[in-house]
Amino acid sequence: MAEQSPLQPDPSMVGGVSKAPFVLPPGPLRIFTRRADRFDILASTSKLAPYLNFLGALTRAQASLVATLPALPPPDAAQIERARAAAMPPIDRASLATAPDLATTFDRLFEAAATIEMPAAAAQALSTTRQAEPGMLRAMTANVLADAIPRDSLAPHLFVAAGIQVHAARCAAALDPSTLVPIAVGVCPACGGPPGVSVVVGFSGAEGARYAVCSCCSTSWNEVRVKCIACGSTQGIGYRDTSEPGTTATVKAEVCDHCHSWIKILYQNQNPSLDPVADDVASLGLDMLMRGTDYRAAGSNPFMLGY
Amino acid sequence: MNMELSRRGFLKAAGAGVAGTTLGAMGFGEAEAAVLAHVRPFKLTTTVETRNTCPYCSVACGIIMYSKGDLRKGEQADIVHIEGDVDHPTNRGTLCPKGAALKDFVHAPTRLKHPMMRKAGSDRFEQVSWDFALDRIARLMKHDRDANFIAKNAKGVPVNRWTTTGFLAASATTNETAYATYKVVRSTGIVAFDNQARV
Repeated sequence: MAEQSPLQPDPSMVGGVSKAPFVLPPGPLRIFTRRADRFDILASTSKLAPYLNFLGALTRAQASLVATLPALPPPDAAQIERARAAAMPPIDRASLATAPDLATTFDRLFEAAATIEMPAAAAQALSTTRQAEPGMLRAMTANVLADAIPRDSLAPHLFVAAGIQVHAARCAAALDPSTLVPIAVGVCPACGGPPGVSVVVGFSGAEGARYAVCSCCSTSWNEVRVKCIACGSTQGIGYRDTSEPGTTATVKAEVCDHCHSWIKILYQNQNPSLDPVADDVASLGLDMLMRGTDYRAAGSNPFMLGY
Repeated sequence: MNMELSRRGFLKAAGAGVAGTTLGAMGFGEAEAAVLAHVRPFKLTTTVETRNTCPYCSVACGIIMYSKGDLRKGEQADIVHIEGDVDHPTNRGTLCPKGAALKDFVHAPTRLKHPMMRKAGSDRFEQVSWDFALDRIARLMKHDRDANFIAKNAKGVPVNRWTTTGFLAASATTNETAYATYKVVRSTGIVAFDNQARV
């Protein structure tokens, strides 16, 4: 008899219909590297190229930071237990503002960002942020974490938000995804942050499932399709896009007639290259057109406030 | 993320007091204006995704139907795509070959949309009203039941059977509809009967 083939049948792939995982934890190095690559590709064809190039360089700085920063201390089991008992997300965003590791992250990111080519206004904002006293920096961090960025200082807060993204993604990656449970509609189960966009994925085992992506810690969590992730309503959901007749848009605005808000939805099952942050910025035109409707933007992205 | 609306003079040193958007504040206003000029002639089109149940069999798989245009906004809606509903616990996004071909079923020129009747001796079906159809069906059922109802078997035991008429009901029904269908059909004595309640 012939020897047994190394190829063995895998009965789990036959007949079984897998359940989409609840949480996709962020691999910080992978997501920031992929995002930077995506920014570069989008910049090559976009009218928004100067900004996309800038954000691409900033994201690359985030990625190299993830690769070089010392490991974080393991998450505090007692604090996770307490959060679970109170039906709260395990990462306490309010206490992130005073985390000692965050200060190092800021220093290193701002240093790397100083080498990026940027307009004078952005450079001035960066130098203001670098020279800010610890108290001021803490206040800006608290603003970003409270999703309340003062309208008159959007630029300095962009750099602070970029630093928080790095730190929060590393904190979220350290959590055990199997312990995360739904908190509420549109609330990140890892850090409690708001979603930036939602993504319909196409990978094996979750084809067609929709994941909301946290704008703070980049954790993705499963949300039911055709449901407003701002208010949870399943009634009055529609989609707006700018596709030509006969084509299908892969970035759409999901509008809700119940709470009158809209949030972007990216069809990664149609185009696997779509990135929840890079393509959100690059599809700025959709935000501009949606500004003319009576829907209010509910997606959160510190790189494109004001839409 | 909501912008804090109170202008509280945060970070005066930054001197950034004019900007309404992050792009403007960062000095990328020119690129922002270029995008705005580019998208101005574009119009937003509406698509809708609607949950429903596959009508074929009693497994009752969940489906999502994609249509162009929104009926709620007074537009014409045309179904452009149908796929399995990944959130549905029964099929989790999968469909059988019949379910996967549902779009053609919806758009089929031969699709049955109204009650149709072929009169005795006629070679074609004609559209009739629901009132007419229901009255006619009830009348014919009554005739048949009166003629063929079996109240007692040969030994004189009450059986209340009506074996000459069958009843087939749809898959995409609720528990309540299935229950009511079952009660109505069985209480007439019909034996040949299948619907969702069997599953």
